[in-house]
Amino acid sequence: MGESLADYSLKKKIKESGQGQLKLVGVIGGGTMGREIIQIVSQRGINVVFIDLTKERVESILKDIDTALSEIINKWGLTQSEKRAIMSRIKGTTEYNDIRDCDLVIESISIRQRGSSVDARQDVFKKIEAVVSPATVIASNNSSLMISDLASALKHPERAVGLSFITPPTTVKIVEVVRGLETNDKTYDFAIRFVKMLDKKPITLYESPGNISTRLIITLINEACELLMEGVASVQCIDETMKIGYGLQFGPFELADRVGLDKVLKVMNNLYLEFGSDKFKSSPIIKRLVRANFLGKKVLRGFYKYENDKIISQAISATEFK
Amino acid sequence: MEFNNLKINKVSLMKIIVLNCGSSSIKYQLFDMARKEVLAKGLVDKVGLPGSYIKHEKCGDDSVKLEGEIIDHQAGIEYVLGLLTSKLRGNLKSFDEIDAVGHRVVHGGEKFQDSVLINTEVVDKVKECIDLAPLHNPPNLKGIYAIQEILPNVPQVAVFDTAFHQTMPRHAYMYAIPYSLYAKYGLRRYGFHGTSHRYVAQRAAEILKKDLCDLKIVTCHLGNGASMTAVNCGKSVDTSMGLTPVEGLIMGTRTGDLDLGVLTHIMQKEEIDLQTANTLINKHSGILGITGISSDMREIEAARDKNDERAILGLQMYNYRIRKYVGAYAAVMGGIDVLVFTGGVGENSPSTRQEVCKDFEFLGLLFDESKNKGLRAKEAIISQDSSGVTVMVVPTNEELMIAADTERIVSALKK
Repeated sequence: MGESLADYSLKKKIKESGQGQLKLVGVIGGGTMGREIIQIVSQRGINVVFIDLTKERVESILKDIDTALSEIINKWGLTQSEKRAIMSRIKGTTEYNDIRDCDLVIESISIRQRGSSVDARQDVFKKIEAVVSPATVIASNNSSLMISDLASALKHPERAVGLSFITPPTTVKIVEVVRGLETNDKTYDFAIRFVKMLDKKPITLYESPGNISTRLIITLINEACELLMEGVASVQCIDETMKIGYGLQFGPFELADRVGLDKVLKVMNNLYLEFGSDKFKSSPIIKRLVRANFLGKKVLRGFYKYENDKIISQAISATEFK
Repeated sequence: MEFNNLKINKVSLMKIIVLNCGSSSIKYQLFDMARKEVLAKGLVDKVGLPGSYIKHEKCGDDSVKLEGEIIDHQAGIEYVLGLLTSKLRGNLKSFDEIDAVGHRVVHGGEKFQDSVLINTEVVDKVKECIDLAPLHNPPNLKGIYAIQEILPNVPQVAVFDTAFHQTMPRHAYMYAIPYSLYAKYGLRRYGFHGTSHRYVAQRAAEILKKDLCDLKIVTCHLGNGASMTAVNCGKSVDTSMGLTPVEGLIMGTRTGDLDLGVLTHIMQKEEIDLQTANTLINKHSGILGITGISSDMREIEAARDKNDERAILGLQMYNYRIRKYVGAYAAVMGGIDVLVFTGGVGENSPSTRQEVCKDFEFLGLLFDESKNKGLRAKEAIISQDSSGVTVMVVPTNEELMIAADTERIVSALKK
């Protein structure tokens, strides 16, 4: 009979609206950040399709999300039926074509090689634009590069915006919404609305390397490394000072371990390149740890050693760097 | 926002829309008060979320489900009004036929003892109660704003879940916490399901052809949420829910009465935060938490029939808690004349009613198993004729109560 909801609209203009809908979100990359973004988007009732490199990785990401949700259930934060609903809204794929119907796509790739990731991320932006509709908003979760750099690879740079989640996205209640040089109001408002739908506070800002969060935390990590090198205090004492003394969720070293020291190093290099200021120049400790594959929590050793998701001891002592 | 220039129907044969706006849903019914019937009803669901739709039923016709984007409550209500005035699905020729709109408003705090005509002052007071019902009052207000925007001349009435319980005496509603916290934040027992308790108490008196003022009634609203009320002389003198709907009876997924020390102990041992603790007592507990099976009483009864130990325990605890409140309210009122069961479980579970009513002979209650057996969702008396306490099943009808209040208040305006 072709009866539709729009037939009963009081304002005929609602019929044409359509723009700014948010039915399907795409996420490119299911690393630690990407995986948690996929999870929180689905937890808020929005369908998600994510892309990763291989079928095996896609399977393992789905399994990891399943495990993460089970852990929340064990801690009473979720029910079994809510978990089933969340999992049913997530689809994994290796094909860009599967994100063609997305209203928003978030690039959240992780790159293991050293050096700048601009080219790789631009390439992802191009691949996204090649399949999605002209109205789709394209976002990057990267916090140390300029969104305009990535947008320049697009035919429609006005649809690009930065959506910078902070580790761990599942619990941190803010997202930095970054406005690039060409980001238009429609794109920006849409991004803010999306963040509010995730029940998070959008922090609005203009693009600047490292945004607010990364720029401030990187200098804190670097300065903590200085303290360590000078033999002033131990890793644990420095972390406890900031955690207990200033109420930070994590001390600088524990945070660096959680982010991944390779990633911290990359961000430092990006910021140093952009600003040319020594305060962003990576501490030798970080470089040394990365070379030795002490990459942080993900490999169970960084500034600390880890077992069963918990810190068991410091991995390095101050005297090693004197 | 102005609430002037109201168009008042001079004849008291009204068509009234009843709205129940939740955080992402709108339930609605169109009443013809002259014929005392529902003309149309429906549900707008997933408002502001992906997959939003309206399920609409013109009474006597098939229901229809229409999917499409519904960005907010205003858009949802616009579609509802569009449906109600459409040729295909509607009952109304134009908006002029709508004489009034009645809203369910969850929390009226201490400010409202009865339903009221909505004006700017009322809206401000409902806003002041948002702290007490942060999930419910804001969407209730959205419904009021939407109608004001679309039908500015139609009178609107607010019917509060808490209003009926405002007659509770101070010694019943105060918590034994520092008095300054009551003064500062209004922390006290308010109770919920007021419209349902009021409706079934009144209806029970009507069925029994007795004056409500002569009766001591205990009403049991047993649904997924559950509460009981002691109604003396038509007034609520105590109720089992408190500041929030967690207090009182064991519910589908809520604890009901709980030693607060248990909660702080769990929070410490399981290292959980406030929000998770809230989820624990609201979603993981109650019948679901005890049985590990379901929050649905039908599934629990099925498991009990297969001798599932925890299902048996869950039901014993559930019934025991209700019995304790029956005893307490008998003490509060100095006896009971009528015990009323309503709500999904109260109306449809003969075994719950039987277990609750057994061994109450000392109260003068003589239960009639044969009248109770197989009885579902029908008005009936299920005690023996010689029983001192009349036990009844009265299906609740909160929407009708809201419509009736709306008619009463709007009719009084023209006098």
